[in-house]
Amino acid sequence: MTKHLNKVRWLVLTTVFLMLILLPFIHLYQTYVAAHAYDLLAPAEKQVYDTMEMLTSPFVSDPEHDLDAIKGNTWSGTFFGFRISDPLAVVSQSFAGLSLYWPFILTGLIPLVLTVLFGRFYCGWICPATFLYELNSNFAVLMHRFGLHTGNRHFDRRFKYLVLGVGLLLSAMTGAVLTAVVYPPAIIGREIYYGVALSGYSHVVIGGFGAGAVFFLSTLLFDLFVSRRGFCRYLCPGGALYSMLGRFRLFRIQRVVENCNDCAKCNAVCEFGLDPLHDDFGQECNNCTACIAICPTDALKFSVSLADQPFKGHGHLGKVYQRNLVNKTKEKSGQGELP
Amino acid sequence: MKRRQFLADLIYGATVALTLPVGVTEARVNTTGVRYLRPPGALPEDQFKSQCIRCGQCGEVCPNRAITYFGVAHGAEVMDTPFIVPREQACILCMKCGDVCPSGAIQPIKKTFKDIVGKVRMGKARVDENLCLSFQGKTCGVCYRACKLQDVAIRIGMLEQPHVLDACVGCGLCERSCIQIPQAIRIIPDYG
Repeated sequence: MTKHLNKVRWLVLTTVFLMLILLPFIHLYQTYVAAHAYDLLAPAEKQVYDTMEMLTSPFVSDPEHDLDAIKGNTWSGTFFGFRISDPLAVVSQSFAGLSLYWPFILTGLIPLVLTVLFGRFYCGWICPATFLYELNSNFAVLMHRFGLHTGNRHFDRRFKYLVLGVGLLLSAMTGAVLTAVVYPPAIIGREIYYGVALSGYSHVVIGGFGAGAVFFLSTLLFDLFVSRRGFCRYLCPGGALYSMLGRFRLFRIQRVVENCNDCAKCNAVCEFGLDPLHDDFGQECNNCTACIAICPTDALKFSVSLADQPFKGHGHLGKVYQRNLVNKTKEKSGQGELP
Repeated sequence: MKRRQFLADLIYGATVALTLPVGVTEARVNTTGVRYLRPPGALPEDQFKSQCIRCGQCGEVCPNRAITYFGVAHGAEVMDTPFIVPREQACILCMKCGDVCPSGAIQPIKKTFKDIVGKVRMGKARVDENLCLSFQGKTCGVCYRACKLQDVAIRIGMLEQPHVLDACVGCGLCERSCIQIPQAIRIIPDYG
Protein backbone atom coordinates (compact mmCIF):
# COMPACT_ATOMS: atom_id res chain seq x y z
CA MET A 1 0.00 0.00 0.00
CA THR A 2 2.60 2.53 1.05
CA LYS A 3 4.50 1.53 -2.10
CA HIS A 4 2.03 3.60 -4.10
CA LEU A 5 2.12 6.71 -1.90
CA ASN A 6 4.78 8.22 -4.13
CA LYS A 7 2.39 8.12 -7.08
CA VAL A 8 -0.33 9.69 -4.96
CA ARG A 9 2.16 12.38 -4.01
CA TRP A 10 2.91 13.16 -7.65
CA LEU A 11 -0.81 13.33 -8.29
CA VAL A 12 -1.23 15.84 -5.45
CA LEU A 13 1.75 17.92 -6.58
CA THR A 14 0.48 18.02 -10.16
CA THR A 15 -3.04 18.92 -9.05
CA VAL A 16 -1.80 21.80 -6.89
CA PHE A 17 0.38 23.10 -9.70
CA LEU A 18 -2.38 22.86 -12.29
CA MET A 19 -4.74 24.65 -9.91
CA LEU A 20 -2.24 27.48 -9.61
CA ILE A 21 -2.28 27.79 -13.40
CA LEU A 22 -6.04 27.45 -13.65
CA LEU A 23 -6.94 30.05 -11.01
CA PRO A 24 -5.51 33.09 -12.84
CA PHE A 25 -7.40 32.06 -15.97
CA ILE A 26 -10.56 31.76 -13.90
CA HIS A 27 -9.85 35.28 -12.64
CA LEU A 28 -9.52 36.54 -16.20
CA TYR A 29 -12.76 34.79 -17.16
CA GLN A 30 -14.51 36.44 -14.21
CA THR A 31 -13.32 39.88 -15.25
CA TYR A 32 -14.55 39.27 -18.81
CA VAL A 33 -17.93 38.20 -17.44
CA ALA A 34 -18.05 41.24 -15.17
CA ALA A 35 -17.32 43.54 -18.09
CA HIS A 36 -20.25 42.16 -20.14
CA ALA A 37 -18.24 42.73 -23.29
CA TYR A 38 -17.68 39.38 -25.00
CA ASP A 39 -17.80 40.99 -28.43
CA LEU A 40 -14.98 43.41 -27.58
CA LEU A 41 -12.53 40.71 -26.48
CA ALA A 42 -9.44 39.92 -28.51
CA PRO A 43 -9.42 36.46 -30.16
CA ALA A 44 -7.06 35.03 -27.54
CA GLU A 45 -9.25 36.41 -24.77
CA LYS A 46 -12.32 34.90 -26.38
CA GLN A 47 -10.54 31.57 -26.37
CA VAL A 48 -9.88 31.92 -22.63
CA TYR A 49 -13.52 32.89 -22.10
CA ASP A 50 -14.87 29.92 -24.05
CA THR A 51 -12.53 27.39 -22.45
CA MET A 52 -13.24 28.59 -18.95
CA GLU A 53 -16.96 28.71 -19.59
CA MET A 54 -16.80 25.13 -20.78
CA LEU A 55 -14.83 24.06 -17.71
CA THR A 56 -16.83 25.88 -15.08
CA SER A 57 -20.40 26.01 -16.40
CA PRO A 58 -21.30 22.56 -15.00
CA PHE A 59 -20.48 23.76 -11.51
CA VAL A 60 -21.54 27.39 -11.27
CA SER A 61 -24.49 29.42 -12.45
CA ASP A 62 -23.13 32.90 -11.69
CA PRO A 63 -19.41 32.79 -12.56
CA GLU A 64 -18.72 36.37 -11.54
CA HIS A 65 -19.50 35.65 -7.90
CA ASP A 66 -19.59 31.86 -7.49
CA LEU A 67 -16.04 31.39 -8.73
CA ASP A 68 -14.74 33.57 -5.89
CA ALA A 69 -15.01 30.41 -3.76
CA ILE A 70 -11.46 29.27 -4.59
CA LYS A 71 -8.85 32.01 -4.64
CA GLY A 72 -5.21 32.52 -3.82
CA ASN A 73 -2.29 30.14 -3.78
CA THR A 74 -0.36 27.95 -1.37
CA TRP A 75 1.04 31.01 0.41
CA SER A 76 -2.45 32.00 1.46
CA GLY A 77 -5.70 30.87 -0.05
CA THR A 78 -9.45 30.92 0.31
CA PHE A 79 -11.29 27.65 -0.10
CA PHE A 80 -15.09 27.97 0.06
CA GLY A 81 -14.89 30.68 2.67
CA PHE A 82 -12.23 28.81 4.61
CA ARG A 83 -8.83 30.49 4.80
CA ILE A 84 -5.55 28.62 4.95
CA SER A 85 -2.18 30.34 5.19
CA ASP A 86 1.38 29.15 5.17
CA PRO A 87 2.82 29.10 8.73
CA LEU A 88 5.83 31.00 7.39
CA ALA A 89 3.47 33.78 6.27
CA VAL A 90 2.00 33.93 9.76
CA VAL A 91 5.39 33.98 11.48
CA SER A 92 6.90 36.54 9.08
CA GLN A 93 3.89 38.81 9.33
CA SER A 94 3.99 38.68 13.11
CA PHE A 95 7.65 39.69 12.99
CA ALA A 96 7.09 42.41 10.38
CA GLY A 97 4.17 43.96 12.25
CA LEU A 98 5.68 43.24 15.68
CA SER A 99 2.18 42.34 16.78
CA LEU A 100 -0.19 39.39 16.76
CA TYR A 101 -3.22 39.64 14.48
CA TRP A 102 -5.30 36.69 15.58
CA PRO A 103 -7.74 36.36 12.65
CA PHE A 104 -4.70 35.82 10.44
CA ILE A 105 -2.77 33.61 12.84
CA LEU A 106 -5.75 31.25 13.08
CA THR A 107 -5.62 30.68 9.31
CA GLY A 108 -2.20 29.11 9.76
CA LEU A 109 -3.32 26.76 12.52
CA ILE A 110 -4.27 23.70 10.46
CA PRO A 111 -1.02 23.60 8.45
CA LEU A 112 0.86 24.11 11.71
CA VAL A 113 -0.79 21.12 13.41
CA LEU A 114 -0.27 18.97 10.31
CA THR A 115 3.40 19.97 10.23
CA VAL A 116 3.87 19.02 13.86
CA LEU A 117 2.30 15.62 13.12
CA PHE A 118 3.82 14.88 9.71
CA GLY A 119 7.00 16.95 9.75
CA ARG A 120 8.10 18.69 6.61
CA PHE A 121 5.32 17.08 4.53
CA TYR A 122 4.48 20.40 2.84
CA CYS A 123 7.85 20.33 1.08
CA GLY A 124 7.20 16.92 -0.39
CA TRP A 125 3.47 16.84 -0.99
CA ILE A 126 2.10 20.31 -1.71
CA CYS A 127 4.78 22.90 -2.49
CA PRO A 128 4.40 23.98 -6.14
CA ALA A 129 8.14 24.66 -6.24
CA THR A 130 8.83 21.03 -5.31
CA PHE A 131 6.96 19.97 -8.44
CA LEU A 132 9.39 21.95 -10.59
CA TYR A 133 12.45 21.18 -8.47
CA GLU A 134 11.86 17.42 -8.71
CA LEU A 135 11.34 17.65 -12.46
CA ASN A 136 14.58 19.61 -12.46
CA SER A 137 16.31 16.79 -10.55
CA ASN A 138 15.00 14.28 -13.07
CA PHE A 139 16.32 16.49 -15.85
CA ALA A 140 19.70 16.53 -14.11
CA VAL A 141 19.71 12.72 -14.17
CA LEU A 142 19.01 12.86 -17.90
CA MET A 143 21.84 15.35 -18.39
CA HIS A 144 24.15 13.15 -16.38
CA ARG A 145 23.28 10.19 -18.58
CA PHE A 146 24.36 12.16 -21.63
CA GLY A 147 27.64 12.98 -19.97
CA LEU A 148 26.88 16.61 -19.20
CA HIS A 149 28.07 18.24 -16.02
CA THR A 150 25.62 18.53 -13.12
CA GLY A 151 26.50 19.77 -9.67
CA ASN A 152 26.29 17.67 -6.56
CA ARG A 153 28.09 19.75 -3.98
CA HIS A 154 27.19 19.61 -0.32
CA PHE A 155 26.88 22.48 2.09
CA ASP A 156 25.84 22.84 5.70
CA ARG A 157 22.11 22.16 6.15
CA ARG A 158 21.96 24.56 9.05
CA PHE A 159 22.47 27.47 6.67
CA LYS A 160 18.73 27.64 5.98
CA TYR A 161 18.02 28.34 9.65
CA LEU A 162 20.31 31.33 9.28
CA VAL A 163 18.33 32.42 6.21
CA LEU A 164 15.10 32.11 8.20
CA GLY A 165 16.55 34.03 11.16
CA VAL A 166 18.00 36.82 9.06
CA GLY A 167 14.79 37.00 7.00
CA LEU A 168 12.66 37.40 10.12
CA LEU A 169 15.08 39.93 11.59
CA LEU A 170 15.08 42.01 8.41
CA SER A 171 11.28 41.74 8.27
CA ALA A 172 11.08 43.11 11.79
CA MET A 173 13.54 45.89 11.02
CA THR A 174 12.03 47.06 7.72
CA GLY A 175 8.42 46.39 8.65
CA ALA A 176 7.77 44.44 5.45
CA VAL A 177 7.23 40.70 4.97
CA LEU A 178 10.54 40.09 3.20
CA THR A 179 10.57 36.29 3.46
CA ALA A 180 7.79 36.28 0.87
CA VAL A 181 10.27 37.63 -1.65
CA VAL A 182 12.69 34.67 -1.40
CA TYR A 183 10.26 31.82 -0.70
CA PRO A 184 9.74 29.77 -3.90
CA PRO A 185 6.15 28.51 -3.38
CA ALA A 186 4.96 32.06 -2.66
CA ILE A 187 6.89 33.30 -5.67
CA ILE A 188 5.42 30.67 -7.98
CA GLY A 189 1.85 31.35 -6.87
CA ARG A 190 2.31 35.06 -7.51
CA GLU A 191 4.35 34.81 -10.68
CA ILE A 192 1.95 32.48 -12.46
CA TYR A 193 -0.79 34.96 -11.65
CA TYR A 194 1.35 37.86 -12.87
CA GLY A 195 2.28 36.00 -16.02
CA VAL A 196 -1.31 35.19 -16.90
CA ALA A 197 -3.20 38.23 -15.68
CA LEU A 198 -0.79 41.15 -15.54
CA SER A 199 0.78 41.09 -18.98
CA GLY A 200 0.66 44.52 -20.55
CA TYR A 201 1.69 46.51 -17.50
CA SER A 202 4.88 48.52 -17.79
CA HIS A 203 6.54 47.65 -14.47
CA VAL A 204 6.79 43.89 -15.01
CA VAL A 205 9.74 42.21 -16.68
CA ILE A 206 8.65 39.95 -19.54
CA GLY A 207 5.12 38.93 -20.47
CA GLY A 208 3.81 39.77 -17.03
CA PHE A 209 6.44 37.85 -15.09
CA GLY A 210 8.28 39.86 -12.46
CA ALA A 211 11.59 39.64 -10.65
CA GLY A 212 10.39 36.61 -8.68
CA ALA A 213 10.41 34.50 -11.84
CA VAL A 214 14.02 35.46 -12.47
CA PHE A 215 14.89 34.56 -8.88
CA PHE A 216 13.17 31.20 -9.19
CA LEU A 217 14.92 30.40 -12.46
CA SER A 218 18.24 31.15 -10.80
CA THR A 219 17.41 28.68 -8.01
CA LEU A 220 16.62 26.07 -10.67
CA LEU A 221 20.03 26.67 -12.24
CA PHE A 222 21.64 26.51 -8.80
CA ASP A 223 20.01 23.11 -8.24
CA LEU A 224 21.10 21.92 -11.65
CA PHE A 225 24.72 23.04 -11.72
CA VAL A 226 25.81 23.51 -8.12
CA SER A 227 23.91 21.32 -5.74
CA ARG A 228 21.12 18.81 -6.30
CA ARG A 229 17.93 20.21 -4.71
CA GLY A 230 20.23 22.75 -3.11
CA PHE A 231 17.73 25.49 -2.44
CA CYS A 232 15.38 23.25 -0.47
CA ARG A 233 18.21 21.58 1.39
CA TYR A 234 20.32 24.55 2.33
CA LEU A 235 18.50 27.84 1.74
CA CYS A 236 14.70 27.66 1.96
CA PRO A 237 13.38 29.63 4.97
CA GLY A 238 10.08 27.73 4.89
CA GLY A 239 11.90 24.42 4.93
CA ALA A 240 13.83 25.63 7.95
CA LEU A 241 10.62 26.49 9.80
CA TYR A 242 8.94 23.18 8.97
CA SER A 243 12.05 21.21 9.86
CA MET A 244 12.04 22.78 13.30
CA LEU A 245 8.29 22.25 13.74
CA GLY A 246 8.57 18.67 12.54
CA ARG A 247 11.50 17.68 14.70
CA PHE A 248 9.28 15.60 16.99
CA ARG A 249 6.84 14.56 14.28
CA LEU A 250 4.65 11.58 15.06
CA PHE A 251 4.64 9.91 11.67
CA ARG A 252 8.03 9.02 10.29
CA ILE A 253 9.60 6.54 7.91
CA GLN A 254 11.73 3.84 9.49
CA ARG A 255 13.87 1.00 8.21
CA VAL A 256 12.96 -2.57 9.07
CA VAL A 257 16.40 -4.06 9.45
CA GLU A 258 15.16 -7.63 8.92
CA ASN A 259 14.06 -6.79 5.36
CA CYS A 260 16.92 -4.52 4.34
CA ASN A 261 19.54 -5.79 1.89
CA ASP A 262 21.90 -2.78 2.01
CA CYS A 263 21.33 -1.87 -1.62
CA ALA A 264 21.40 1.88 -0.78
CA LYS A 265 18.85 2.78 -3.43
CA CYS A 266 17.02 4.79 -0.78
CA ASN A 267 20.06 6.99 -0.22
CA ALA A 268 20.46 7.55 -3.94
CA VAL A 269 16.82 8.50 -4.49
CA CYS A 270 16.47 10.77 -1.45
CA GLU A 271 16.02 14.32 -2.73
CA PHE A 272 17.13 15.79 0.57
CA GLY A 273 20.36 13.77 0.74
CA LEU A 274 19.37 11.90 3.89
CA ASP A 275 20.70 8.53 4.94
CA PRO A 276 17.84 6.02 5.37
CA LEU A 277 20.31 3.15 5.06
CA HIS A 278 21.83 4.10 8.39
CA ASP A 279 18.49 5.01 10.00
CA ASP A 280 19.44 8.68 9.82
CA PHE A 281 16.36 10.67 8.76
CA GLY A 282 16.42 13.52 11.23
CA GLN A 283 14.17 16.56 11.12
CA GLU A 284 14.81 17.17 7.42
CA CYS A 285 12.78 14.22 6.11
CA ASN A 286 9.70 15.43 4.23
CA ASN A 287 7.92 12.06 4.21
CA CYS A 288 7.91 12.10 0.43
CA THR A 289 7.97 8.26 0.36
CA ALA A 290 10.29 8.10 -2.65
CA CYS A 291 12.53 5.73 -0.67
CA ILE A 292 9.57 3.49 0.15
CA ALA A 293 8.65 3.34 -3.51
CA ILE A 294 12.11 2.35 -4.68
CA CYS A 295 12.99 -0.14 -1.93
CA PRO A 296 13.17 -3.59 -3.59
CA THR A 297 12.62 -5.52 -0.37
CA ASP A 298 9.93 -3.40 1.35
CA ALA A 299 12.28 -2.56 4.18
CA LEU A 300 10.98 0.98 4.70
CA LYS A 301 7.65 1.68 6.30
CA PHE A 302 5.77 4.38 8.18
CA SER A 303 5.72 4.15 11.93
CA VAL A 304 4.35 6.19 14.80
CA SER A 305 7.23 7.35 16.95
CA LEU A 306 8.55 10.59 18.38
CA ALA A 307 12.17 9.90 17.43
CA ASP A 308 14.19 7.99 14.85
CA GLN A 309 15.35 4.57 15.94
CA PRO A 310 19.09 4.27 16.61
CA PHE A 311 21.19 2.58 13.89
CA LYS A 312 20.13 -1.05 13.84
CA GLY A 313 23.18 -2.39 12.00
CA HIS A 314 23.47 -3.87 8.54
CA GLY A 315 20.39 -5.18 6.77
CA HIS A 316 19.69 -8.83 7.45
CA LEU A 317 19.39 -9.62 3.76
CA GLY A 318 22.64 -7.86 2.92
CA LYS A 319 26.00 -9.47 2.20
CA VAL A 320 27.77 -8.13 5.31
CA TYR A 321 25.20 -9.46 7.73
CA GLN A 322 24.95 -12.81 5.93
CA ARG A 323 28.73 -13.29 6.00
CA ASN A 324 28.86 -12.46 9.69
CA LEU A 325 26.02 -14.90 10.28
CA VAL A 326 27.85 -17.65 8.47
CA ASN A 327 31.03 -16.92 10.43
CA LYS A 328 29.13 -16.98 13.71
CA THR A 329 27.49 -20.30 12.99
CA LYS A 330 30.85 -21.73 11.97
CA GLU A 331 32.42 -20.45 15.19
CA LYS A 332 29.69 -22.15 17.12
CA SER A 333 30.26 -25.43 15.34
CA GLY A 334 33.98 -25.14 16.03
CA GLN A 335 35.33 -24.68 12.51
CA GLY A 336 36.80 -21.22 13.13
CA GLU A 337 36.73 -18.27 10.78
CA LEU A 338 36.95 -18.50 7.08
CA PRO A 339 40.28 -17.40 5.60
CA MET B 1 36.59 85.66 13.66
CA LYS B 2 37.29 83.10 10.98
CA ARG B 3 37.49 80.31 13.51
CA ARG B 4 34.26 81.37 15.17
CA GLN B 5 32.55 81.44 11.80
CA PHE B 6 33.93 78.02 10.98
CA LEU B 7 32.71 76.58 14.28
CA ALA B 8 29.30 78.12 13.82
CA ASP B 9 29.10 76.70 10.31
CA LEU B 10 30.23 73.32 11.61
CA ILE B 11 27.55 73.23 14.30
CA TYR B 12 24.92 74.45 11.85
CA GLY B 13 26.00 71.93 9.25
CA ALA B 14 26.02 69.08 11.73
CA THR B 15 22.57 70.02 13.01
CA VAL B 16 21.18 70.15 9.50
CA ALA B 17 22.89 66.92 8.51
CA LEU B 18 21.52 65.12 11.56
CA THR B 19 17.97 66.40 11.34
CA LEU B 20 17.43 66.63 7.61
CA PRO B 21 17.52 62.94 6.63
CA VAL B 22 15.04 62.09 9.37
CA GLY B 23 12.71 64.82 8.23
CA VAL B 24 13.08 63.83 4.59
CA THR B 25 12.46 60.11 5.14
CA GLU B 26 9.48 60.81 7.35
CA ALA B 27 7.96 63.16 4.84
CA ARG B 28 8.35 60.73 1.95
CA VAL B 29 5.88 57.92 2.46
CA ASN B 30 5.81 57.11 -1.20
CA THR B 31 9.27 56.11 -2.39
CA THR B 32 8.17 54.19 -5.46
CA GLY B 33 8.06 56.93 -8.06
CA VAL B 34 4.47 55.98 -8.91
CA ARG B 35 1.45 58.02 -7.81
CA TYR B 36 -0.57 55.07 -6.59
CA LEU B 37 -3.58 54.32 -4.42
CA ARG B 38 -3.93 51.37 -2.07
CA PRO B 39 -7.06 49.23 -2.41
CA PRO B 40 -10.16 50.46 -0.52
CA GLY B 41 -10.02 49.70 3.19
CA ALA B 42 -6.23 49.49 3.27
CA LEU B 43 -4.49 50.35 6.52
CA PRO B 44 -2.26 53.45 6.75
CA GLU B 45 0.81 53.01 4.56
CA ASP B 46 3.45 51.96 7.14
CA GLN B 47 1.04 49.53 8.80
CA PHE B 48 -0.04 48.23 5.41
CA LYS B 49 3.53 47.34 4.44
CA SER B 50 3.98 45.22 7.57
CA GLN B 51 0.53 43.64 7.41
CA CYS B 52 0.45 42.67 3.72
CA ILE B 53 1.84 39.17 3.10
CA ARG B 54 1.90 39.60 -0.70
CA CYS B 55 -0.39 36.67 -1.46
CA GLY B 56 -2.04 38.38 -4.42
CA GLN B 57 -5.60 37.43 -3.57
CA CYS B 58 -6.90 41.02 -3.74
CA GLY B 59 -5.86 41.26 -7.37
CA GLU B 60 -7.33 37.86 -8.06
CA VAL B 61 -10.81 38.88 -6.95
CA CYS B 62 -10.74 42.38 -8.44
CA PRO B 63 -13.41 42.22 -11.17
CA ASN B 64 -12.18 45.43 -12.78
CA ARG B 65 -8.50 44.40 -12.89
CA ALA B 66 -7.71 47.66 -11.15
CA ILE B 67 -5.32 46.13 -8.63
CA THR B 68 -1.82 45.47 -9.86
CA TYR B 69 1.46 44.82 -8.07
CA PHE B 70 4.76 46.57 -7.51
CA GLY B 71 7.87 45.04 -9.02
CA VAL B 72 11.44 44.91 -7.82
CA ALA B 73 12.17 48.30 -9.38
CA HIS B 74 9.99 49.98 -6.76
CA GLY B 75 11.98 48.62 -3.85
CA ALA B 76 11.90 45.40 -1.81
CA GLU B 77 9.76 47.04 0.87
CA VAL B 78 6.75 47.44 -1.41
CA MET B 79 7.56 44.66 -3.87
CA ASP B 80 4.50 42.51 -4.68
CA THR B 81 2.14 44.70 -2.67
CA PRO B 82 -1.09 45.80 -4.40
CA PHE B 83 -1.72 49.23 -5.81
CA ILE B 84 -4.10 51.05 -8.10
CA VAL B 85 -3.26 53.67 -10.69
CA PRO B 86 -6.69 55.19 -11.30
CA ARG B 87 -5.88 56.66 -14.69
CA GLU B 88 -5.13 53.14 -15.95
CA GLN B 89 -7.97 51.33 -14.19
CA ALA B 90 -9.99 52.72 -11.31
CA CYS B 91 -11.61 51.06 -8.32
CA ILE B 92 -15.33 50.38 -8.69
CA LEU B 93 -15.82 50.04 -4.92
CA CYS B 94 -17.02 46.43 -5.05
CA MET B 95 -15.24 45.81 -1.71
CA LYS B 96 -14.25 42.24 -2.62
CA CYS B 97 -10.56 42.75 -1.87
CA GLY B 98 -11.20 43.56 1.79
CA ASP B 99 -13.31 40.43 2.14
CA VAL B 100 -10.63 38.17 0.72
CA CYS B 101 -7.56 39.68 2.41
CA PRO B 102 -6.39 37.10 4.97
CA SER B 103 -4.05 39.29 7.00
CA GLY B 104 -6.21 42.36 7.53
CA ALA B 105 -3.97 44.66 5.49
CA ILE B 106 -7.15 45.52 3.59
CA GLN B 107 -9.88 45.72 6.18
CA PRO B 108 -13.27 44.28 5.20
CA ILE B 109 -15.83 47.00 4.59
CA LYS B 110 -19.50 46.31 3.92
CA LYS B 111 -20.71 47.35 0.49
CA THR B 112 -23.21 49.89 1.79
CA PHE B 113 -23.34 53.60 1.12
CA LYS B 114 -22.77 54.47 4.78
CA ASP B 115 -19.77 52.19 5.28
CA ILE B 116 -18.08 53.17 2.03
CA VAL B 117 -18.42 56.90 2.65
CA GLY B 118 -17.45 56.52 6.29
CA LYS B 119 -14.51 54.13 6.09
CA VAL B 120 -12.89 54.18 2.64
CA ARG B 121 -9.99 56.65 2.49
CA MET B 122 -8.01 56.04 -0.68
CA GLY B 123 -7.51 59.70 -1.43
CA LYS B 124 -9.39 62.73 -2.58
CA ALA B 125 -10.02 64.12 -6.04
CA ARG B 126 -8.74 67.53 -7.02
CA VAL B 127 -9.81 69.49 -10.10
CA ASP B 128 -7.26 71.41 -12.12
CA GLU B 129 -9.36 74.35 -13.25
CA ASN B 130 -6.85 75.33 -15.91
CA LEU B 131 -7.28 71.99 -17.64
CA CYS B 132 -10.93 71.21 -16.94
CA LEU B 133 -13.09 71.77 -20.03
CA SER B 134 -16.07 72.96 -18.02
CA PHE B 135 -14.00 75.71 -16.50
CA GLN B 136 -12.92 76.71 -20.02
CA GLY B 137 -16.51 77.27 -21.07
CA LYS B 138 -17.04 73.90 -22.79
CA THR B 139 -19.56 71.96 -20.76
CA CYS B 140 -18.41 68.41 -20.02
CA GLY B 141 -19.42 66.85 -16.67
CA VAL B 142 -18.04 63.38 -17.46
CA CYS B 143 -16.35 63.04 -14.06
CA TYR B 144 -19.62 63.74 -12.27
CA ARG B 145 -21.41 61.10 -14.32
CA ALA B 146 -18.68 58.53 -13.70
CA CYS B 147 -18.83 59.04 -9.93
CA LYS B 148 -20.54 56.35 -7.87
CA LEU B 149 -21.29 58.83 -5.08
CA GLN B 150 -22.88 61.63 -7.07
CA ASP B 151 -23.83 64.77 -5.09
CA VAL B 152 -22.10 63.26 -2.04
CA ALA B 153 -18.52 63.16 -3.25
CA ILE B 154 -18.80 65.50 -6.21
CA ARG B 155 -21.26 68.29 -6.97
CA ILE B 156 -21.81 69.91 -10.32
CA GLY B 157 -22.24 73.65 -10.80
CA MET B 158 -22.85 76.05 -13.63
CA LEU B 159 -21.60 74.85 -17.06
CA GLU B 160 -21.19 71.38 -15.47
CA GLN B 161 -18.23 72.60 -13.44
CA PRO B 162 -17.24 69.85 -10.94
CA HIS B 163 -16.69 70.61 -7.25
CA VAL B 164 -15.23 67.84 -5.12
CA LEU B 165 -16.81 67.50 -1.68
CA ASP B 166 -15.32 66.19 1.57
CA ALA B 167 -17.01 62.79 1.29
CA CYS B 168 -14.91 61.84 -1.76
CA VAL B 169 -13.34 58.42 -1.09
CA GLY B 170 -10.79 58.55 -3.91
CA CYS B 171 -11.86 55.57 -6.01
CA GLY B 172 -10.57 57.33 -9.14
CA LEU B 173 -13.48 56.71 -11.49
CA CYS B 174 -13.53 60.46 -12.28
CA GLU B 175 -9.81 60.45 -13.13
CA ARG B 176 -10.27 57.34 -15.28
CA SER B 177 -13.14 58.89 -17.18
CA CYS B 178 -11.71 62.40 -17.72
CA ILE B 179 -11.65 63.12 -21.44
CA GLN B 180 -8.81 65.64 -21.17
CA ILE B 181 -5.22 64.52 -21.78
CA PRO B 182 -3.61 64.94 -19.32
CA GLN B 183 -6.51 64.44 -16.96
CA ALA B 184 -7.99 67.55 -15.35
CA ILE B 185 -9.14 65.72 -12.23
CA ARG B 186 -6.70 63.67 -10.19
CA ILE B 187 -6.80 61.68 -6.98
CA ILE B 188 -4.40 62.95 -4.33
CA PRO B 189 -3.55 59.72 -2.44
CA ASP B 190 -4.23 59.49 1.27
CA TYR B 191 -1.55 57.25 2.80
CA GLY B 192 -2.90 57.70 6.32
